[in-house]
Amino acid sequence: MKALTANRLSDGEVVFWKDGAWVERLAEAGLFDEDGPAASAEAAARGQPTLVIDPYLIDLVDSSGFWAPVSYRERIRALGPTNHELHGKQAEGGGAVEALRQAHGAARSSGRVNLIRRK
Amino acid sequence: MYRYDAVDRAVLADRTAEFRDQVERRLSGELTEDQFKPLRLMNGLYLQLHAYMLRVAVPYGSLNPVQMRALADIARRFDRGYGHFTTRTNIQFNWVRLADAPDILDALAAVDLHAIQTSGNCIRNVTADPYAGAAADELEDPRVWCEAIRQWSSLHPEFSFLPRKFKIAVTASPHDRTAAKVHDIGLLLRRGRDGETGFEVIVGGGMGRTPHVGPTIKAYLPSDRLFSYLEAILRVYNRHGRRDNIYKARIKILVSALGAEAFAREVEAEWERIGTDGDLPRAEVDRIRSAFTTPDLGGAPSSGDFEARRAAEPAFARFVRNNLKAHLRPGYGIVDISLKGIGETPGDISADQMEVVADLAERFGQGDIRATHEQNLVLPHVRLEHVHEVWKGLAAVGLATPNINLISDIIACPGLDYCALANARAICVAQDIARRFEAPDRAEAIGELKIKISGCINACGHHHVGHIGILGVDKKGEEFYQLTLGGSGAEDAAVGKMLGPALPIDRVTDAVEAIVEAYLRERTGGERFLDTLRRTGDAPFREAVYADAH
Repeated sequence: MKALTANRLSDGEVVFWKDGAWVERLAEAGLFDEDGPAASAEAAARGQPTLVIDPYLIDLVDSSGFWAPVSYRERIRALGPTNHELHGKQAEGGGAVEALRQAHGAARSSGRVNLIRRK
Repeated sequence: MYRYDAVDRAVLADRTAEFRDQVERRLSGELTEDQFKPLRLMNGLYLQLHAYMLRVAVPYGSLNPVQMRALADIARRFDRGYGHFTTRTNIQFNWVRLADAPDILDALAAVDLHAIQTSGNCIRNVTADPYAGAAADELEDPRVWCEAIRQWSSLHPEFSFLPRKFKIAVTASPHDRTAAKVHDIGLLLRRGRDGETGFEVIVGGGMGRTPHVGPTIKAYLPSDRLFSYLEAILRVYNRHGRRDNIYKARIKILVSALGAEAFAREVEAEWERIGTDGDLPRAEVDRIRSAFTTPDLGGAPSSGDFEARRAAEPAFARFVRNNLKAHLRPGYGIVDISLKGIGETPGDISADQMEVVADLAERFGQGDIRATHEQNLVLPHVRLEHVHEVWKGLAAVGLATPNINLISDIIACPGLDYCALANARAICVAQDIARRFEAPDRAEAIGELKIKISGCINACGHHHVGHIGILGVDKKGEEFYQLTLGGSGAEDAAVGKMLGPALPIDRVTDAVEAIVEAYLRERTGGERFLDTLRRTGDAPFREAVYADAH
């Protein structure tokens, strides 16, 4: 399973693609179980440069009934910094946040790989 | 402290107006991200994991109370009520909105601050001894030269697009508190045989993926020739530095490839061509020097009840032992303010805490505040009779942790909690180690021990020069940590040596404790950790950490 993520241009907030628009919570994101629609969404997102920066796809795994990023970096993006639990999306709490915190899995983030490649 | 003149203020006003226009054009779509990114970086605005981050230059680490209060105001109005002091003696705001950035720059400009040259391949903020103007072992105030370098390098047309970023440190004490030998240029102020002052010039130090302790390329440079010589170094670097490979573009790679002697010959030839035209007129140096006169500390002060309180209050005595340093004037002290409260984020400071520091500096500290490259603050001029009151004021807001240079005084970069480039977290590792060694008696018994943690090989957390260095690495998408031992950023600068295989995050604090226990077993007399390590080698420490792996 995949989701499409980016940072919002106006404030840098981590956002997720949902039906052509952007939402702040991973739990509300649109999901892709096939590569074709995911790539189409990514291409469409790249056509919104006044809304978001550097959209990219992330891989997800099941965690306690919620979808969570496989990459640790992406879990931090979806939650907020681990040193300030009241900062970022994690401040809301709830089952989806807890599932993200408990999620396991390891993979390099394509977001970081893209960033390094562009340097 | 140097105060801006009308020209300085006009430049900042123009620059902010220009950036405001650029932001509006980006938001409207007139500028693409590829066009805008270098413009925002030139104004210190990065995009991190969760938000934009604004890096504000704190010139050679010096702030006055008005500036500190302005930073507190920005933290409240535009961030989440706090800021983060960095190993470049700058302050970063982690939760900035793009549209607010021009307003923040206006607020900074109102108090003679900005974010220019806090990013990009230019000459960055100069590092100064945080005890400058107060240290008992100082030859003269190095901030005069830092300010002159700041003015010379700001928006310098020839040196705004170097092969890579460029960092200069200046110190005037035999004890180096600037990590000068791991800067691109380290300038060590010396007294010449003629009684005049000059600099030992070190070039090509650095950390990152290829750490180097810089070699001395000139043992003594008369101070009135500083700027022509700096120009010669930068010109040689600009001409020969590797622009084809970002990982080989720092001056340390050039100096290493050519060899220090050959590099020095190139610089000398260029210096000869430049001649004295490249030097700063003495009158200009004197004008800048006049802004750094020793504050009027009054007559010989009484130490009041300082000694009596020290004898009667163990907690105050501990603070004095660890956080109060010798001042050049009898009856005064230098107060170190730890931004390393146990379990807190190294370098973080809340808006409320900033205001308390500003108030204390105003009431008891000659209005002078310094930021250190070890992510702490300093009040450099405090009468001994006022130290107790300062301590109480700091303690009331959680800023009196008595751990300067001890094991919990840890440098940590923002790491994967904030930084888009990081491989692994650094802050939580620092917090966990600090909690393990929270007991102050134990920390004092261990003595000077500098732990420095970076979340990636770019080494913003200075792990290469940590007595114990910790580097976060990515092993198939998981956070692992590589330990190094024996680094130093002081006058005995050294790059730490890798101890063994990287460890998972839940083994790092145990490994640090095993290293500490090995040190306590091995040390003799009054040896510091580094002394013991240098005498024994790393075998006892490797055995302690990896024994159960055999």
